[in-house]
Amino acid sequence: MKKKMSNRDKTFWAVIIPVVILFFAFNTLPMIKGVIYSFTNYKGYGTYDYVGFRNYADLFTDSRVGKSYLFTFKYALAGTILVNVLSLIMAVGLNSAIRFKSALRGIYFVPNILGGLVIGYIFSFIFTYILPTVGNVFHIGFLQNSILASEKYAWIGVLIVGVWQAVAMNTIIYISGLQTVPEEVYEASMLDGASKWKQFWKVTFPLVMPFVTINLVLSTKNFLMVFDQIMSLTKGGPAQSTESISYLIYKNGMDGGQFGFQSANAVIFFIVIVAISLFQMTVMNKKEEQL
Amino acid sequence: MMKKKQKTNLVLTIVLILGTLTVFFPLYMAVIIAFKKPSEMTNDVAGALSFPKQWSFENFRQAMEVTDFWRSLGNSLLITLVTIVLAILIHSIAGYVIGRGMARRKSFRFIYLYIVSGMFVPFSILMMPLVKQTAHMGLGNRAGVIVLYLVFYMPMNVLLYSGYLKNIPEALEEAADIDGASTWTTYWRVVFPMMKPMHATVAILTALGTWNDVMTPLVIMSGTGQNTLPLAQLNFQTQFGTNYNLAFASYILALIPIMIFYMICQKQILNGVANGAVKG
Amino acid sequence: MAKRNIFRGLAAVLALGMCMTGLAGCGSEKRADGKTEIEVVSYKPEAVKAFEKIEKRFNETHDDIHLTISSPNEAMTILKTRFIREDYPDIIAIGGDINYSNFLDADLFDDISDLDEVQTVKQAYLDMDKELEFIPKDGTYALPYVANAAGILYNKDLFEENGWKVPTTWQEFTTLCNEIKQSGTLPLYLGFKDTWTCLAPWNALAVGLTDSDTCNQVNMGNTTFSDTYGPVAEKMRALLDYAEKNPYAYGYNDACTAFARGEAAMYPIGSYAIPQIKSVNPDMNIGSFTFPANDNESDNVLNSGIDLQFSVMKACKNKEAAYEVLKYLYDDETIQIYLDDQGGIACKDGDFAIPETLKDMRPYIENNRMADYQDHHYPSEMSVDAMIQTFLLDTSDNAQEKFLKKFDSDWKRYNRDLIRKVQDYQKEQEDAQ
Repeated sequence: MKKKMSNRDKTFWAVIIPVVILFFAFNTLPMIKGVIYSFTNYKGYGTYDYVGFRNYADLFTDSRVGKSYLFTFKYALAGTILVNVLSLIMAVGLNSAIRFKSALRGIYFVPNILGGLVIGYIFSFIFTYILPTVGNVFHIGFLQNSILASEKYAWIGVLIVGVWQAVAMNTIIYISGLQTVPEEVYEASMLDGASKWKQFWKVTFPLVMPFVTINLVLSTKNFLMVFDQIMSLTKGGPAQSTESISYLIYKNGMDGGQFGFQSANAVIFFIVIVAISLFQMTVMNKKEEQL
Repeated sequence: MMKKKQKTNLVLTIVLILGTLTVFFPLYMAVIIAFKKPSEMTNDVAGALSFPKQWSFENFRQAMEVTDFWRSLGNSLLITLVTIVLAILIHSIAGYVIGRGMARRKSFRFIYLYIVSGMFVPFSILMMPLVKQTAHMGLGNRAGVIVLYLVFYMPMNVLLYSGYLKNIPEALEEAADIDGASTWTTYWRVVFPMMKPMHATVAILTALGTWNDVMTPLVIMSGTGQNTLPLAQLNFQTQFGTNYNLAFASYILALIPIMIFYMICQKQILNGVANGAVKG
Repeated sequence: MAKRNIFRGLAAVLALGMCMTGLAGCGSEKRADGKTEIEVVSYKPEAVKAFEKIEKRFNETHDDIHLTISSPNEAMTILKTRFIREDYPDIIAIGGDINYSNFLDADLFDDISDLDEVQTVKQAYLDMDKELEFIPKDGTYALPYVANAAGILYNKDLFEENGWKVPTTWQEFTTLCNEIKQSGTLPLYLGFKDTWTCLAPWNALAVGLTDSDTCNQVNMGNTTFSDTYGPVAEKMRALLDYAEKNPYAYGYNDACTAFARGEAAMYPIGSYAIPQIKSVNPDMNIGSFTFPANDNESDNVLNSGIDLQFSVMKACKNKEAAYEVLKYLYDDETIQIYLDDQGGIACKDGDFAIPETLKDMRPYIENNRMADYQDHHYPSEMSVDAMIQTFLLDTSDNAQEKFLKKFDSDWKRYNRDLIRKVQDYQKEQEDAQ
């Protein structure tokens, strides 16, 4: 028997070692290299010097980096809240007794399968040409100017596209959450004479709470990493008001000769993402226990 | 207990049907613009919303030529398909080994945490070193992109597979063991087929992620003359110039393959996505 | 059974993978047909047609060398990404700008002073390249090909119909703009959604209103941008009054199209935009004049810089073949092919006609009243273009002050390695003496 186990062990190790090597080589190793580069003034080509913590010190005084963090957080926060509220509503709607249920579910999921870049280009046209035309014809003031050209509101344009695409995914998840709620629970609460609204908050919501956790973590992470929509809608403009962290790292790291500096930015970004995810999970786990 | 048939909520049905306009409107705009001629682009609402005068495929023909559509499509298909097949083979056995190993050994528990924690690593931090590294290894091409996808999706897929494994009783493997089959054989003969529902989920989640991805091919393959479908849209922006009709024809072309795939496998996709999130 | 199938599948997939990788490899080695491959990457996608023609003619006449000229979109990003990958083409065709300075500083280029063609370049352009060297280097590292000029493009037919005259002073310019506005035509079209287009009028104003070595003077600590760029910023903002509503909604392409369709009388952009405009309206009658930045015509300076030049990479394995290509490119006939397609001013000494579209600028060109783009000295990661856009969007009273202050402080930060380098070099020079 003992020999058998060791045979099994051998196979296990034979499988896992190459996998771990692969993972290390293309995930951990580049991460370590990224940390090393973050202490240099490397342009990406040519020679470079080690500059100690200068890049990190600069990060905290660089207004452009600060602005990109502000934008990204603002965007992620608004996006996460909007998406979760909307998709919970949609899920309740799509899970009720309606006709064409599966067809409707299918249609509402379409935005999610389409690529962010192409969708961004399509919306960019709508924002720049269609909506201002509508605004001019019907004299709707706020529509007359392209939202993407406004330093104040361009981020909302990006947000609309981001939410439009993300709602679908979270709706599906909430629907599967709602389906775990047994019919009897509703019937019991109905006998208690609870109102629909009360029923939702007291019965349904606590039961789908684990799905709220999943959705919050998922959508926050996706929104924090926004790239495609920025690339196709605004390229970070106007006046650098919609530069996301990912976009800035790409733009200045690859193109702007800030390989070292943006590596430092990426390290900080990584820490931020881990911190936020851990925070969300701890808080949500506590909430779930309470309920 | 007899299931009570609930009354269909007609008002809600209508509201939800009207709501699909938010999905259809942008796509409708894209389609009609793709068919119009530049001279049909007007500055009034009725003109902007109206059908093209003639449903001509000229824009599409031209867009295919400009973006080298078939080659980009081929690249996208190749990358996505190879990634899916390899992900199912490699990630499933990795998930299996880790899942079973965890129960007995601390080291496997550690490997599990190590790989799954990779989910938190944003591509941004890996991007710049990876560009250098893949180039040094001769992987600054489609093969490199596939290898990277296999690594990027490993955390999620290992999590999914090892989680699913809890549904498969170990007794089955032990029985096969006693029959004298090796662990390797047992896995492919007994366990791998049993994980079929998870294979579908993994395939769909991986496919949706890789098909639409811009950033990885952008930094890894740029300048090699090879494009994926999204990358082609990005790279030909200047060639389109102000010919929005041509550009939109190209966008529609880029959207069609995944739309067809979705129409065929809609049910599996929706199930797969829900499955992945619930298990993950 | 199942196992065997899976392995068969796996093998097929891997084989497929191998095939793909096989396709990718290429470089400056010998080709299968024994010819030496020379790869040129050009940063001007708009010149793709001209280069295709040149490439074809070259390959038809050369048995031993095969030339490939590629002109990708976003070529600078692609080039830099390739440099990061250490995957170098043989020759690159870029502009005489900060990228050239950076690549040269990174020691990526070969000295080509032993190429005979260097002797035929107009001295002014060799000097321009010399000024782009952070630290003076011996030798020649680029072969200037074509220069452009940035001022204001105007719709000649519209001007003629309305009897408008080309302005020569700022006063005349604003009067003209007001007149055009009153006639119901848009005086200017701006494509400020693409931030880089903000730099076109900015540069054209800056050469007229400040010294050409302003950036160096700042680096040496003799002046600040707050002291010098005030009038530039002021006049830059003044342009907005004459442009379309909300210029931040439209990009370069939109602006080119709008101008080509006669929606605006003038368009402050470089001559490099002319081919793009003509692609929309081939029959358009375009003229261009020096930006009338000053109240006195004699103070005006034409903004002109090297639009395209060739540099041989250090990594190029076959220098002889690369020289052969450069010689061919610098042949009068080849230059003419390029000029016919793209316009511009040849950097080679010789009998090249100044294109009709640049006629009004001729006195400046002939009398050498020209200065290089100041943004050729701005570090790209500082994104001065976006800073200008931010400044224009900022309508508060002290916007200009804030902008110039930021310009100064950012300049110091982004250039500090460079400033230190320059100072070290100066010190070295002094010590040597």
